[in-house]
Amino acid sequence: MAFLLRRLCFYLAAFVAAATINFFLPRLMPGDPVQIMFSSAGAELPPESLQALKLTFGFVDGPLWQQYLTYLGSIFSGDLGRSIKYFPLPVTTVLGNALVWTVGLMGTATIVSFALGTFLGILAAWRRGSLFDVIVSVGAIFATSVPAVVTSLIVVFTFGFTLGWFPTGYSADPALDPAFTFEYLGSVLYHGILPMLTLCAVLTGGFAVTMRNNMINLLGEDYIVMARAKGLSDTRVMLWYAARNALLPTVSSLAIAIGTVLGGSLVTEVVFNYPGLGNILYQAILARDYPVIQGQLLIMTATMLIANFVVDVSYVLLDPRLKRA
Amino acid sequence: MKTSSFPLIHNRKAMVGALIVAFILAVAIAAPLLTSYDPSARVGRPHQAPSLEHWLGTTRIGQDVFARLVYGARTSLAVGFGAGLLITIVGTALGIIAGYRGGKIDEIISFFTNMVLVVPNLPLLLVLAAFIGQASPWVIALILGCTSWAWGARVTRAETLSVKQKDYVKSAEMMGEPRWRIMTFEIFPNLISIVGINFIGSVIFAIITQATLEFLGLGDPKVVSWGTMLYAAQKASALSVGAWWDILTPCFALAFLGIGLSLLNFAVDEIANPRLRTGNRLGRWSALIRSGEGRL
Repeated sequence: MAFLLRRLCFYLAAFVAAATINFFLPRLMPGDPVQIMFSSAGAELPPESLQALKLTFGFVDGPLWQQYLTYLGSIFSGDLGRSIKYFPLPVTTVLGNALVWTVGLMGTATIVSFALGTFLGILAAWRRGSLFDVIVSVGAIFATSVPAVVTSLIVVFTFGFTLGWFPTGYSADPALDPAFTFEYLGSVLYHGILPMLTLCAVLTGGFAVTMRNNMINLLGEDYIVMARAKGLSDTRVMLWYAARNALLPTVSSLAIAIGTVLGGSLVTEVVFNYPGLGNILYQAILARDYPVIQGQLLIMTATMLIANFVVDVSYVLLDPRLKRA
Repeated sequence: MKTSSFPLIHNRKAMVGALIVAFILAVAIAAPLLTSYDPSARVGRPHQAPSLEHWLGTTRIGQDVFARLVYGARTSLAVGFGAGLLITIVGTALGIIAGYRGGKIDEIISFFTNMVLVVPNLPLLLVLAAFIGQASPWVIALILGCTSWAWGARVTRAETLSVKQKDYVKSAEMMGEPRWRIMTFEIFPNLISIVGINFIGSVIFAIITQATLEFLGLGDPKVVSWGTMLYAAQKASALSVGAWWDILTPCFALAFLGIGLSLLNFAVDEIANPRLRTGNRLGRWSALIRSGEGRL
């Protein structure tokens, strides 16, 4: 388990790096950093709240390292300050509410597109050069090279505005109260399906290409020839000999893909007016609500690091060589 | 398959991709010849549908969409290629140095590379751009160059590790060539396909990311680019008022450019790694049947 412990330390360092960027950015800008951070509040902020906010972000009297430690202290105690747009709500509450929707959207989209992309990639590699392979390869090129914002806008225009099949905003019917009823959950599903499918369209191609290329590189290996020579069925050779080993590098590419998923879900939510992190962030950017903008970097980084750790753990489970290392 | 000293010419994907990119480049250069309208000026009534007078209609404040499209291509291409070049230079240099020098230097560079890889890119760019304020296209290109080199550095390092074991590098070391010379003249030329893939990939990334940042309202709205076109159209609720030409024009332009560059990228990848080729389908059928490959 030394491997996982090492990864954990590394993730902690990466998180501190993100916090450091947050700490230094306002201080590197020309002008008074306090003025920059809280300028959008105007005169509406009560003096004692401003004092508390200054303390949270490390604007204390004293040398820089003391300010830095104060800031790290407030972050690690879970205090990200208060939103200026939604004052007096704490940033963690504003972002936490939104994170539920984003993780739900991202999670389903990642699982669906990973499964679908891997499956398409296996079949395309197995039938390399066939019409099916050409369609998958060319389709993947098209899907991965179109920006997520463009895909989202075209989907929302076609299925939302023109055909009117799906709603073009919100995560559920605003007339319904959030509760575990069939009506409400159905509404959530109905509102979520279009953004989810858009994200899948953005992601599936990448997974398919990675899997196809891994498979093709493996199909020339001796143990595949051996398995064929033993007279095993094609399905067995394809799934249990080739795909199983080709899956390993694909899983590690999943970790890198999570960044794309995050970025993709940000813009998808803005286009679909979906109440996730992307939308909150968009509103925060328009209002120059810096505590929220900074907070999202920390929350996104944490989400990404957790996802990476999950991938690490599954990597250890999939690759027995790592257990001994 | 016939070998050629110019493999790109015989690859159909590469040809189509190059044609698309060249076409957009030509449009960008010839922008003043293609339209007589000023892309920022109000030249018509708001949200007019496409007509002979305004080929792609007008925006919410009466600007000509076609003029904005052709002039915007200049900004999007310039930022894309500028930032792409910057990302590639930084990534390649760090990758080769880390891979060739090894030891402590490698550890430090690899640590930073991995760290940049796990901090999500778009949220980081959003924070940077938000503090800079209405970022001009060149500022966006610069921050993209500073934050997005990690993937290239990692791939280049891995390739360098295998190239540095080759005999010609060993013999250059024996002859006492200086390190910088080995890195630039022995190793770099042998990484050229990786560098090419990295460059085109970075250009695609830069174009997409610039458009995304501007769409989210972090660009300078006075600049004419495909990203600010999207931003203005979304802000004017172009879709819900039925002005599809306003928002779909930059959409299709971005998609077209993205596809062109990707085709080029996949072609370079296939040339560098021949196993990945789908090849000429008709010519391949006989080979498939012979080898028993592709049965299912």
